[in-house]
Amino acid sequence: MTVSPSRSSVQAGPAPEKKPASAMIEIDHVSQVFQTSGRQNHLALSDISLTVEDGAFVSILGPSGCGKSTLLYIVGGFVNPTEGAARMKGGAITGPGPDRGPVFQEFALFPWKSVLGNVMYGPRQQGVRPADAEAQSRALIEMVGLKGFEDFYPKELSGGMKQRVALARTLAYHPAVLLMDEPFGALDAHTRTRLQNDLLNIWERDRKTVLFVTHSVEEAVFLSDKVVMMTRSPGRIRQIVDIDLPRPRRRTELLLDPRYQKYLVDIERMFDDSDETELRP
Amino acid sequence: MSPRAILARAAPVLACLGLLAVWQIASLALNNDSFPTAIEAIRAIPSILGDKEALINIAASLRRMAIGFGLAVAMSIPLGLMMGRSRTVASFFNPLLMVIYPVPKAALMPIIMLWLGVGDIAKTLVIFLGVSLPVIYHSFEGAKAVEEKMLWSGAAMGLSAPRRLIRIVLPAALPEILTGCRTGLVLALITMITSEMIARQSGAGNILFNALDMGQYDTVFAMIIIVGAMGIGLDALFERMRARLVKWSEPQFDIPLSFS
Repeated sequence: MTVSPSRSSVQAGPAPEKKPASAMIEIDHVSQVFQTSGRQNHLALSDISLTVEDGAFVSILGPSGCGKSTLLYIVGGFVNPTEGAARMKGGAITGPGPDRGPVFQEFALFPWKSVLGNVMYGPRQQGVRPADAEAQSRALIEMVGLKGFEDFYPKELSGGMKQRVALARTLAYHPAVLLMDEPFGALDAHTRTRLQNDLLNIWERDRKTVLFVTHSVEEAVFLSDKVVMMTRSPGRIRQIVDIDLPRPRRRTELLLDPRYQKYLVDIERMFDDSDETELRP
Repeated sequence: MSPRAILARAAPVLACLGLLAVWQIASLALNNDSFPTAIEAIRAIPSILGDKEALINIAASLRRMAIGFGLAVAMSIPLGLMMGRSRTVASFFNPLLMVIYPVPKAALMPIIMLWLGVGDIAKTLVIFLGVSLPVIYHSFEGAKAVEEKMLWSGAAMGLSAPRRLIRIVLPAALPEILTGCRTGLVLALITMITSEMIARQSGAGNILFNALDMGQYDTVFAMIIIVGAMGIGLDALFERMRARLVKWSEPQFDIPLSFS
């Protein structure tokens, strides 16, 4: 099997001996076992080691059931790993915190709060004065393209708009890392494309570290600096592919770019290969 | 307003008038002394509401009901929410509640009277018990159904577990909690009357059953109308408050379920 994307295809394996100074997140030999109803233990993640550098947009790509979301929840501090540890800026992750902002596929907005109330929630929680929190939140709502919807309740919004609110709500408390769990997975193709474009535009302003879980190869290649490919059952890192495409990226340009197309084909082929090996006893 | 809309608005009133008409006809047809006509019963209402003694009795009933309902709601909501979010709390309280739930609370009245007498405390306690269970149950169900990811979002913002219970679980479960409170309110009215039926001393139930003993059937039926009207009024008031509090939640029914 060959990995064609020319530059540095980092092999998954033991944790790097020397940690780079700019490491934002380090996942160190993490395994996760779930107890299923049949008293059998299900190994969801097996010995995952991964370093995410400061300012990098990293996608975790894999089929459903490969534990990619679980890995994200471990970094978020929502799930404790059975083995191994995750670190944020060198400090062990023991629970959720405002330095890591999640955006979920299910939006998880507070339905009793208006759009503005949702976005202001985090800053208010952190003691930002109401007037300041409101001004910042209004600016963020405008940035995600929802000016005029400040007083709407979540039930009055479409799925795409809800996810825009969720993104603004998370950005509002200035997390150092965005943890995005298949954020556009519940949206129709058109809305999904628009949100991907907008996310890139927003991201290119301040280049926050992003850990992005998806099962879409196009989405991963379009957005990311680095794509972490995972295998299913147990979830392992199969390959890490650096995406060496110029930024700012424009979809219309990329679609014609042979390098972009090659990444897609190569990654698809690698998944096909692994499917075949899985079938073999 | 279209004729259809007018009809929709007038429907509850028409339903009540229809019920009274059926009553009137049935009473005339049966011609039974213990079954006065609707008009006779309605005629007896002013004399009850004009009687100071009766008004004091009704006010005493309502006071006990308000205290019993208020205490029950204040204790049941936190308990239900904690049960919904903690497996340990739930597995401790669930069996206890399942034993108490099917017992008619008024059936406990004789025992409670032995301990606490026939006064306000015994009756208020029975109302409290009657209201508690549906409110606990609905708070429990509401808290259980709160989306995990919503709590995670709150945790990421720095909310501690107790604050998440108050700031996220409580508002998220509020529509369900208020459904329980509405059931509780009706049960409060029922247990209020039945407690006064057993411990006759004062109250709206006392007027009703005294009149029954004395064969004043028009007063009996007038009291039934008054209690029914109290139920409708309280429910309409509660429904208005509920609609205001949870206007953000999905509409459950298009047709109004009360007179509000």
